[in-house]
Formats: sequence, C-alpha cells, structure tokens
Amino acid sequence: MKIAVCVSHVPDTATKINIGSDGKTIDPNGVTYIVNPYDEFAIEEALKTKEKLGGEVVVISVGNDANKETLRKALAMGADSAVLLKDENQRDSFGIAKALAEEIKLQNAELVFFGKQSVDYDNSITGQLTAELLNYNSVSVVVNLNIDGNKITAEREIEGGKEVVETSLPVVITAQKGLNEPRYASLKGIMAAKKKTIEEKEAVAANLFVEVVEMKKPAPKQAGKILGSDSSAVSELVKLLREEAKVI
Amino acid sequence: MIIKSDKSSFQSYLTDSSNYKGNAEKLFMPESIQELKELVIDCNRKKTKLTVSGNGTGLTGGRVPDNGFIISLEKFNEILNLDEKNKTVTVQPAVLLNDLQSFVEQKNLFYPPDPTERNSFIGGNIATNASGARTFKYGPTRDYVNKLKVLNPNGEILELDRNINDRSFKFLKNFNIKKPLTSKNASGFFCEENLHLIDLFIGSEGLLGIIIEAELKLIDLPKEVFSAVAFFDSENDALNFIEESKTLSFNNQSIIGARGLEFFDEHSLIFLSKDFPNIPNSAKAAVWFEQEIIRNEDEIFENWSFLLEKYKYSADSAWFASDPKDYEKFKDFRHSISWKVNEYIAQKNFKKVGTDVAVPDKDFHDFYFWCKKLVSDSNLHFVSYGHFGNSHLHLNMLPKSDAEYKTAKENYYLICKKTVELNGTISAEHGIGKLKREYFELMYSEEEILQMAKIKKHFDENLILNIGNIIDPRFYEMV
Repeated sequence: MKIAVCVSHVPDTATKINIGSDGKTIDPNGVTYIVNPYDEFAIEEALKTKEKLGGEVVVISVGNDANKETLRKALAMGADSAVLLKDENQRDSFGIAKALAEEIKLQNAELVFFGKQSVDYDNSITGQLTAELLNYNSVSVVVNLNIDGNKITAEREIEGGKEVVETSLPVVITAQKGLNEPRYASLKGIMAAKKKTIEEKEAVAANLFVEVVEMKKPAPKQAGKILGSDSSAVSELVKLLREEAKVI
Repeated sequence: MIIKSDKSSFQSYLTDSSNYKGNAEKLFMPESIQELKELVIDCNRKKTKLTVSGNGTGLTGGRVPDNGFIISLEKFNEILNLDEKNKTVTVQPAVLLNDLQSFVEQKNLFYPPDPTERNSFIGGNIATNASGARTFKYGPTRDYVNKLKVLNPNGEILELDRNINDRSFKFLKNFNIKKPLTSKNASGFFCEENLHLIDLFIGSEGLLGIIIEAELKLIDLPKEVFSAVAFFDSENDALNFIEESKTLSFNNQSIIGARGLEFFDEHSLIFLSKDFPNIPNSAKAAVWFEQEIIRNEDEIFENWSFLLEKYKYSADSAWFASDPKDYEKFKDFRHSISWKVNEYIAQKNFKKVGTDVAVPDKDFHDFYFWCKKLVSDSNLHFVSYGHFGNSHLHLNMLPKSDAEYKTAKENYYLICKKTVELNGTISAEHGIGKLKREYFELMYSEEEILQMAKIKKHFDENLILNIGNIIDPRFYEMV
C-alpha cells in the first residue's frame, strides 16, 4: 500500500516572530524552522503502518526550497521518497489542499496522514479539504489507529472525551499528540536520506479564496504596578482590581 | 542601593542549590560600582564579613554566608560590549550564562564553556572556573577569560589582562602545590609555573576579590553539529566506546573529534524515561556525544557508525539529531538528569550525596566500577552519570534515612580518598565552597593549604571576603 504523509515547514514554536515589511507575512530572518510538530506524529504513524503492513511511504510538502529540510528529516526518519510541490507564494489552505490532492492522486496513495493542524497559521482544515477533493473518508484529531484490511478504527479526541469511529480506505487521518511517540532518526536513516533525491515539481495552480489583509502582533503587555509592600496598600489594590482591572 | 535587614526578605540568599543553610545580618544590593566600593571599604574598616552572592545555582555553599553581610551583584547584569572583529564580549558579573550564549550566537559567535546550569551568573562561573560537556574539547571557563576587573577589600580595582605580563609577583614566587593529573580541576587555587595573576583569581571562589567585569574570548559559531544519544546493553561497552572515542578525538590522524562525551547509567535512564519515552527498556547505559562538522560529513558518519557497531550499540534505538529541534532535545536530555534527581530528592525530602570527582584517564574504568561496587554493596540507591570524556564522575547517592545518609557520607569519604590516591581531584567542576573543605584537606597537605591561606591574606588582610570558602578558617590563624 502506498502511504502519503503531508508535511509543513513551520517556525519553531520557541522562536520570536516578526512581521515582514509587507505587513502580511512572517519575516523569515532569524527564524528557526522545524517540521510541524503534529506532522511528526503523522510521519511516525505512516512508518509504523508500513513496518506492520508493508508498503511505501512518500512525504509531500508544498512550498519553497526551505521545505526540503523538513522533507529531508522525514527521509532520515525512514520515509522512502519525497516530493516538493513548489510555489514561492503563500497559498491559502485550499490552494495547498488542491496541490496535495493532485499529487496524492498521482502517487495512488490510499492512506494519507496529516498533522491535525499546522502550528504556523493554525487553520486546521488542510487535511479535511484534501480528503474532500479526493473524495476520501477522513478522520481528524486521531489518538489511536488500527487498520485491519480495508477497515479503519480510529479513536479521536472530542470535547470532554473520546470517540471511536470506523471507516474504510481510502482515508485521510489527521494526527493528534498521543497517537504515538515519534522516533529520532537512525544513523543509517540519516546517511540514506542524504543519498535520496527530493522530487521537485510545480504545484498545480489553484484559485485562492482567502487573502491575508493584515498581520498584527498582540498588543504588548503593560508594565506591572507596585502599590506598596505592606497591608496599607491593600485597600488601593482592591480599588484598582475593581475599577481598573475590573476582575473582582 | 537596596538594603534588606529583615531576614525573611532575603531568606533565599541564605542557601544555594546544595540546600546548605547559612545566616546573615543584612543583604546589600549595590546599583553602581561606586556604591559597591564604598560598602566594601566600610566593611573592611569595620572588619565586617562579606559574602558575595551569585544566582544561587552553586552546589557547595559558596555563596552561603555564615554571618556578616551578603552582597548580591544581581544589578550588574549588563552585556557591556561585543567586539565582533576581535571576537570578545565584555560583561558584568550577573549576566546569565544562558543569555550570554544566546546573545553571541545571534551574532554567529560562540562562547564554548557550557556548565549544565545555564541560569548561573558568569561571575560565578569565573569564580569557580566552571566547566561542562564541551570542556572535553574546549577546556573550562579559565581558557575564555581575557581580562578581569576585580575589586579588592581595600577598595582598589585591579585590572588583570592575560596579554599583559603579570607574572612576577614576589608573594607568588614560592607558591607551589601539587596539581592533580586530570583534565579538569576546581579544587583550590590554580597553580603553575610563571602563574599569571588572572589565573590565580579564576577559580578562587571569591577569596581574593569581587569580580566586577570580565572580557571573555569567543570563537566562530560552529554551524553544523552532529549530535547523538546511543544506548548500550552493557556499561562496559559504553565505557569502552567512550574510551576509544576519546583517544580518537585527540588523535590528529582521526576524523573523529567529539566536543563532548557524556555517560548515563541505567538508573539515570529510569529517571529520564518519563520525559523521554523513546529510551529503550533494555538499555543499561547511554552515551551522549556531539561533533562539529566542517567537511567530510559522510566520512565522519561512517567512522562513528563503525565505532558504535564495534561496541555493540543498539542501532535500532539510537537517536541521531536530524534538525535543530532534535539537537535541542538531546541537549535537554543531558541537562535534565541533574535537576530530575534534585526534584526527586526534594519531593522525598532526602539529602543527596553526590560526587564531583575526576581521576586520570588511565584509571577511570576501574575507578568507576570500584565506586559502583562500593555503593551497591552498601545497598544505597544511586544514580551515576557524568562527563566521562574528562573521566569525571557524578555519582549521586540517594539515602532514604539518617542511617543511610551516614553510610553515604562514609562512601563519599572513601571515594574522595581513592581519588586522591590516584592523583585525581575531589572537585572537577563544582568547587569546594563550604561543603567540601574536609575532603579538600585530603587532597592538599597542611603546608599547601597554608600557602593558599597566605595568598588570601595578601589580598584580604582583615579576612572579610567570602570567609569559609575553600580554606577552613582555622588555617588563617596559623599564618
């Protein structure tokens, strides 16, 4: 079975983000990029599935040359091949889903993994949009997965509990933390990854429906106030909590 | 200047990470060098004892006062100048190691010393000649201090510059103590032929003056780093792997050149397994190592691969960093063991008895198993890890009762004694402080300690500064 994993290359969650001069994009200068953390669960699940059921794992990403780093990491973890769908411009989730769906069709992959969301723009819809475009089943926010022949049993997180659903191949699964513990690369994996080539092609054109008009940073936190160091400050504190902060 | 006289307001300054507790009358937090100077001159005149406080991350009670006043240098926390051309950075003593490292790395420069506790003050690092994993390749803090500004108890500011010859001091002419045959040492004053005054100050644990400014040496930031954690089914294999990696790293003909080689025993792995679920259950030991890559990446990988296989590492479960996040994660793996152990003992209200010993490389293998047997035979729970690339062992005994604590202390004494017999050092990186003086006296003769006491008196005749560190006060009465 051909298994596809769709991955995105995102700013490290610990990195400080600045907005670019156009006011609509992130300024990549000084930003460390990493594999989207949820995609690591997707890669791990694909590799585990391959180890159990056989098959081949292809990783796919939409973006520019920088995304190769993320693809290279997936190869080092054990993926068999990688495809970069090139587009220098920022796409909306639909544009990304469209490009991915075309490639998945070409790859003839019946089982597709995504992270449940990408931690850059947090739209959490690319997996489901891709499933829709492919006319595949889809289960999102999956924390446990079992594949038995054609039958898929997936446990997913829902508000206040868990839900177990059954569906069948072909399917798109979006991975949530807890699904597995992503492996680190092996030395053989790293050495093998260096020898593999990343297939590059233009991402298919897509009509974009969402335009970023403006990006803004949250207002900076206001400086704290010290009212005093003994009990005489309590009445002033209560007054300010009531009138200024309006929390009591 | 901030002055605190109510003890409850400076309680936290009366201890450090060792949990050793002290006492003081007041805490002073000067906000300018002038304020600090006036305070010191005044205390010197009145013979009031002063203990200088770093960030409290020390493990030997060095900043913990027995009495007198505390001076906290925390307001001196600025990075004063970065000279990118000459690769130096000038800092005040309370700059955090972590902040310094991030700051210079943004400019593609690198400060190699990496004590495990990254929230320590740079001033404290210099006062204890701190070291860390990268000391294996790069040496300790000492090697990166170009200049120091030091305030003497009489108010004089000494400007020490490694490039200016300060080597002909009469009072140092006869200073001669034996040197341990180890690659790291943080026990007592530094001594060598033609000793430079700056080297005497580095590692003197605040006995000779107060560090108020330092110029540190930087190098270019190594861009590519190969980082790994390998697991072994036998400790012996792990130790042999380290030993051969070490030999190859210092052999110019070999392409292997580790910058750090660290060991973790199976008990350490149990402590870490909750945060790092990928640790294989069968592992009896792990080795963390890093190498900077400039060229010949493939060849380097192949050489490591050959070496790892020779010592039968678990190829399927080893970790190799494939992006910056992995690299940071492995660094956390290495850093978290000490605080995991501390967290455990704090929760259980145990007291840890931990070694900081290093011995000559040729003796390390046997020494490690000797220590382990000693502790296992006395039925104590323990965790061992350390900078094995430097033959430096942190064996932490975790006694559960007073009786076990007594046994642990006895073991500790025996381990220190054995270390000294092997020409090792009882403290390779934490320093002596107030907690390790007894063992320090195993390492040096009375005559040697008196030489150090004499030097101390030369700089601090009224004996006000950081009294109790390194030298037991009874020695001052003998000189």
